[in-house]
Amino acid sequence: MTRPSTVPDARRGDPATAPPGLGTAQRRGRRPRRGRRGTLAVFLTPALALFLLLVIAPIAVASYASLYKWNGFGLPENFIGLDNYTRAFGDPTFRGDLWRALVLVVLSLTIQLPVALGLAMLLNQPLKGRSVYRLVFFAPYVLSEVTTAVLFNLVFSPNRGLGDTIAQWLGADAGTIFADPDTVLFAVFMIVSWKYFGLYMMLFLAARQGIPRELHEAATTDGAGSWQAFRHVTLPLLGPTIRISIFLSVIGTIQLFDMVWVLTGGGPIHASETMAVTMFQFGFRRFEVGYASAISIVMFLLSLVFALIYQRVVMRRDTEGALTNQGDHR
Amino acid sequence: MSAHFSRRTLLGLVGAGAGAYLLSACSGDGDSADPDGPQTIDWWHIQNAEPMLPVWAAMAQEYKTAHPNVTVEIQPLENEAFKSKLTTATQAGSPPDLFQSWGGGVLRQQAEAGLVKDITDDVQSWVGNLLPLSLEPYTIDGKIYGVPFDIGMVGFWYNKDLFAKAQITEPPTTWAGLLDTVRKLKAAGIVPIALAGKEKWPAHFYWAYLSMRIGGLGALQQAAKDKNFDTPDFVAAGDRLKELVDLQPFQKGFLGAEYGSPDGQAATMGNGGAALELMGQWAPAVQSSSSTSKKGIGDKLGFFPFPAVDGGKGSASEVFGGGNGFAVGKDAPAATLDFLKALLTADNQRRAAKTGAVLPTVKEATDAIADVNNKTVAQALASATGFQLYLDQAYPPAVGQQVNDSVAELIAGNKTSAQIVKDITSVAKSQ
Amino acid sequence: MTSTANRALRARRLVLHLVCIAVGTLIVVPVWFGVLGGFKDNGQLSTNPLGWPDPWAPENYTGILASEVFWRQLGNSVLIAVTGTFIMVAAAAMAAFVFARFAFRGRELLFTLFSIGLMFPFAVAILPLFVLLRGMGLLDNPLGVILPQAAFGLPITIIILRQFFRTIPGEVEEAAILDGCGPFGFFWRILLPMARPALATVSVLALVTSWNNFMLPLVVFTDQSWWTLPVGVQAFQGQYSDDTARVLAYVVLSMVPALAFYAVAERQLVGGLAGSVKG
Repeated sequence: MTRPSTVPDARRGDPATAPPGLGTAQRRGRRPRRGRRGTLAVFLTPALALFLLLVIAPIAVASYASLYKWNGFGLPENFIGLDNYTRAFGDPTFRGDLWRALVLVVLSLTIQLPVALGLAMLLNQPLKGRSVYRLVFFAPYVLSEVTTAVLFNLVFSPNRGLGDTIAQWLGADAGTIFADPDTVLFAVFMIVSWKYFGLYMMLFLAARQGIPRELHEAATTDGAGSWQAFRHVTLPLLGPTIRISIFLSVIGTIQLFDMVWVLTGGGPIHASETMAVTMFQFGFRRFEVGYASAISIVMFLLSLVFALIYQRVVMRRDTEGALTNQGDHR
Repeated sequence: MSAHFSRRTLLGLVGAGAGAYLLSACSGDGDSADPDGPQTIDWWHIQNAEPMLPVWAAMAQEYKTAHPNVTVEIQPLENEAFKSKLTTATQAGSPPDLFQSWGGGVLRQQAEAGLVKDITDDVQSWVGNLLPLSLEPYTIDGKIYGVPFDIGMVGFWYNKDLFAKAQITEPPTTWAGLLDTVRKLKAAGIVPIALAGKEKWPAHFYWAYLSMRIGGLGALQQAAKDKNFDTPDFVAAGDRLKELVDLQPFQKGFLGAEYGSPDGQAATMGNGGAALELMGQWAPAVQSSSSTSKKGIGDKLGFFPFPAVDGGKGSASEVFGGGNGFAVGKDAPAATLDFLKALLTADNQRRAAKTGAVLPTVKEATDAIADVNNKTVAQALASATGFQLYLDQAYPPAVGQQVNDSVAELIAGNKTSAQIVKDITSVAKSQ
Repeated sequence: MTSTANRALRARRLVLHLVCIAVGTLIVVPVWFGVLGGFKDNGQLSTNPLGWPDPWAPENYTGILASEVFWRQLGNSVLIAVTGTFIMVAAAAMAAFVFARFAFRGRELLFTLFSIGLMFPFAVAILPLFVLLRGMGLLDNPLGVILPQAAFGLPITIIILRQFFRTIPGEVEEAAILDGCGPFGFFWRILLPMARPALATVSVLALVTSWNNFMLPLVVFTDQSWWTLPVGVQAFQGQYSDDTARVLAYVVLSMVPALAFYAVAERQLVGGLAGSVKG
């Protein structure tokens, strides 16, 4: 994550995106202050109304419910303070969820993102047919999680799917990759990666193509090998995109649900259960809505805390840039 | 768009949180109480496939024809989807008018929240036609909240050919005998038992039956009442189950197996891949439909009740099982009860029974049971000396789910039998 | 000299191609298995899972295509995705414009509030949302899915669009003001047309998200005639769980519109992504 601070962030405030002509207009005049408040209101109201009513209000309701022992029927009456929260952190399943989230994050950061990065660099080469490869690699991203999970359930079916064939090739027990508590999490990770690596690859590729050619040419004429050029020029310039990808990947992992629910239901014996699955189990199967709400709030807070810390520590340079940048437009 | 949202609603929600739930109390169906007025019955059932799907549809159509003022909106749902949808609907305070129910602890919660109708008086005139046993799960504190249309029991289904191959002449009648049977099957190179480990309910049958046989029928009810499963009898049930598990009797990859899919427990039986399964009355039907041949193993299939355990307080004639029924939502229009009655006439029950997917609850209709296996179950049921509903239905949902989870952990070898009774007890105590 | 360099280059290319083909195979085989599987019967599936169907059995596909249910679900999915995306992008663009180009007290606070929405898992909100929608009479109404989806899509869209709007130089705006444009005129006539690639990107992302949403339509639509494809796929699998080939055919057919759309929109998506995620 280290990057030399001397490297200019060439792609921020890129004037190239502005059409010629307009950009050359004279710097004169200021925005009139008249009616500004009204303008703000008009522009902000639709988004704000939608958001407060359909996102913030449910969060509020969930945090309220999380303080009650409540089966979801009628009104919550049995106030128990933070008991649901202490219970969650004492619950081996939930603690397991936290552990599994960590494992999935580590797997994503060490396997999924590097592979995506590698493929992005690969597709940046002048390779015949690369647009076809690109098309194919990204395709799974547009498939729904439910559809993907149903498809893979059938693919790994030993009887009518490829389970037996795969087993013959790899020597594993047929169809047991999802049945073995030791391997199921990895299996889920593979399917998740199958669907999502294309997204990250695309982000990297886009960022890579945004790097001005001259920078690379300069590096190579300076005698840098392609690895060195990658290490010292490309990688630092991809920094912001890599950081955003890590962020999206972590948040996505914390909230993983549809795929796991259909693929394994969290089993066998919780070995692939995620926080969202546990929450769903308690809210929709055991009717412990208060407890389920507490789990959802913990998920929310985890994401939030992670985001705040990450923003402070890792993405600070990017946001600082963004903030200082916009001073120009005031 | 956004202008339609009332600010007051919004503030109420954010401020009080519970405001949202109050809203739900305000609106009913608007259906009149007049049984002759126009009304719509919203009906959710889970027979979303052949053979019952068209039968229900036909019955609804006939009712509509006879009662032009009534519209029946049928919503056939897949089991899991049904549970999710019903949960949201009931927790928002708007249950459908007529919906699938297994009775027991879930129905009790719904009844206590006032979401289902007490229909004791409405059904008094005809409820006597039903097997009293079948009505038990739907009777809560002496009041009836639902009516079953199907009743059955869990027992061992076995493949006679595979038994013969392992030179087993008689189905076992004791637990020790069952273990012996499993050993013989294994020695003959046959997978003894098919089990769906991905879905936890099939495994809980073993522990529940063992508990019944060891502690007696009363033990399960008493434990629920005392919120204490940490007794020697329940630990012993786990120990016995562990004896079976230690023989490694299940098919390869059973922890990931579903029940009804083409690689599942039923298909393994239906394709002759295992000698035994512990399952309810629907087992033969699912075995055939999920098998490759679509026919299952036909007349090679046999049934025997769960064996007795030496020194146990329970007897082999006590059965464990359950069925399907319908509960009536709190806002259901008046015609709903009349419609329910129509669904449960002896004639309609016979039609349902003829599909082989339903074991009728109306006594008079039992003569229509055509299927041999169904007959076996019906006879066993008729001579039962006691009845226990599935634990994941009988107990409050949280306890029932914990039983399922814990038994799965026991079978996977993650927890001991002493640990699981503690886990279940702690959940029961928290209710 | 040059010939060795050429040879090295060619060898390198070959390796790159091999890597790409290997990855491509991993992507394509499961889908291909599904496509072919739909043309088989269940017997063929167990004896010959990967090979060509023999004989070809198109009944699964034709049966589904002839059924009204599939087309209705497809229509619902399209309607909900398109309307929802439109509402969401419109609202988000307006807000992002304000966040990007106006300085006012509380702006960062408000922006942070929106970003927080990104952290709130959708599954968690289902229950309170359901109650809310019911209160507003939006159950069994496409708006009951469209509006919450739009609301939950706002954070990421606002973040992306704000980032993009900022890259448009102040000079452009000043020129517009000189030409007599008010803020609305600038937004409508200059900013939006300039932001077309970014708008295309966020629209495509929103379409994909909406297309894939499962939980919300599942609980909002009691009336089957409003079901969307993902709900339909799951229900279909439940209903025909023993008929693998038929389920495969349904899964494949439900993938086709998304893949076709993607094939058309790919350029937009990629081009737009380049301009949007800049840190």
